Amino acid sequence: MKKQMTNIYRVMTLSVLLGAGSGFFQTAVAAEWPVKGDFVKGAQLWVENCNRCHSYRDPQELRDDQWITTIYHMRIRAGFTGQQARDLVTFMQKSNK
Amino acid sequence: MKKRDNTILRKAVMAVVIGAFPLTSMAGGSDYDVLQDQVKVLQQQLERVQKALKEIETKSASKQDMETAKSEFREEISNAMTPNTLVHLAGYANVGYDSEAGKDGSFNAIQFSPILHYQYKDIFMLEAELEFKAEADGETEVEMEYMSIDWFMNDYSILVAGKFLSPIGTFRQNLHPSWINKMADAPPGFGHDGAAPTSDVGLQVRGGFGEKVRSNYAVYVANGPELNAASEDGEFELEGIMAEGFSTDVDGEKTIGGRYGIIPMAGLEIGLSAATGKAAVTNIVDEDAGTSMSVLGNSRSYDVFGADFSWQRKALDFRGEYIQTKIGEDLTGPGASEGADWKTWYLQAAYMIPSVSLEPVLRYTDFDSPHASEDVKQWSAGLNYHFSNHLIAKLNYQSNDVNKGSRIPENKWLVQLAYGF
Repeated sequence: MKKQMTNIYRVMTLSVLLGAGSGFFQTAVAAEWPVKGDFVKGAQLWVENCNRCHSYRDPQELRDDQWITTIYHMRIRAGFTGQQARDLVTFMQKSNK
Repeated sequence: MKKRDNTILRKAVMAVVIGAFPLTSMAGGSDYDVLQDQVKVLQQQLERVQKALKEIETKSASKQDMETAKSEFREEISNAMTPNTLVHLAGYANVGYDSEAGKDGSFNAIQFSPILHYQYKDIFMLEAELEFKAEADGETEVEMEYMSIDWFMNDYSILVAGKFLSPIGTFRQNLHPSWINKMADAPPGFGHDGAAPTSDVGLQVRGGFGEKVRSNYAVYVANGPELNAASEDGEFELEGIMAEGFSTDVDGEKTIGGRYGIIPMAGLEIGLSAATGKAAVTNIVDEDAGTSMSVLGNSRSYDVFGADFSWQRKALDFRGEYIQTKIGEDLTGPGASEGADWKTWYLQAAYMIPSVSLEPVLRYTDFDSPHASEDVKQWSAGLNYHFSNHLIAKLNYQSNDVNKGSRIPENKWLVQLAYGF
């Protein structure tokens, strides 16, 4: 019983965090798709963040649609906000022409 | 272009004026009507030149319009090529050769790790990394490094459900792919059986916030690890922690943990991690008989603490990480033994020389385990050649300070070609 309560407590803790995440910030996912960001801010984020872990990837390496999945994968890995991810996608897409 | 047109106009006007003077002199003097006619002719010529200039200006504006239209057309095409569900194959692969002191060298480290991404708009993403490895006996080992369905709940939070890379520290979750790792192998203690947990199965919330001073975070609840014990002469001792993402929680005790990272300025990140929970012995190796058996020991305390930093300035990359895992004692159940600690840390410096695409790297690691034969203090020096930013050749030399009886070689050469895609 004690063990069960401990587990429930742990899951509840995470649920509270979940609630905080989805409730307090109240930033709805944009209806527009694909969403556009700020090119200049994206360029700055690219310069300041990619080499925290790995070498810079050339925007020419991937197509527009591939940059979306790649940047959203990096949003999870590197802790970007949604807006920062959109700025980065816009920068990579406009730079791969 | 416009400036050149103006210059042409000026020259044209000058030519007309100069051309008009001989006509004036031919008119033979002061006759007012003749002069008036000549002025009229000049005016007409000037009007024609001005009209021509206007046409040139109109054509220039059209070119700008064309550029705008071209850009808009590209954007339309890009949008049309972006369906609601996107599929993308990423990942990495590597091949290698190593040579240990006192042994013949072998081609090895053949690994292919595809990462599959299926994304539905900016709401969900399924991501899975598989690992195919060529083993020494000719078999192929297949593992699922992670597989999660990620829900982008809002701009600041993502719910990750499934099997995920441990967010404790940064090496496992961010640096282990061979095209990212600047050395040919993981620092001792950060591999699959060391002090740092590798992955777990459960729920995780992660994300980031802040603009000037940025933060990132991850918190999770998961099944947690299992323990290996060994028996020798009737005595038990903890052998190792298996923290590779079990899809069953044998002891029924969940682990909770996370990491908080802060980026106070561009190029600097500092992180702290912790996890706590329970773990039980599930496997005992009888070293006398050379056999192993499955058991279920009593729950023991399981506590992890980690700290990490990374700093980049121009071509210099400097980073380090510390992880400590503590397992409590269990004096009554199967595999009963004292508690044990695993500790490891490393510091690594790399300097990229862009003109020649070469990158010297130096890493020092100190791994302490409850078993003296596994302890190692390792200096590792490397030279990387970057064919491109995602295709890297590595040459490493390792010098290992180990205890007597250790199976870790005193020194080792490693060569690796890593490809990120």
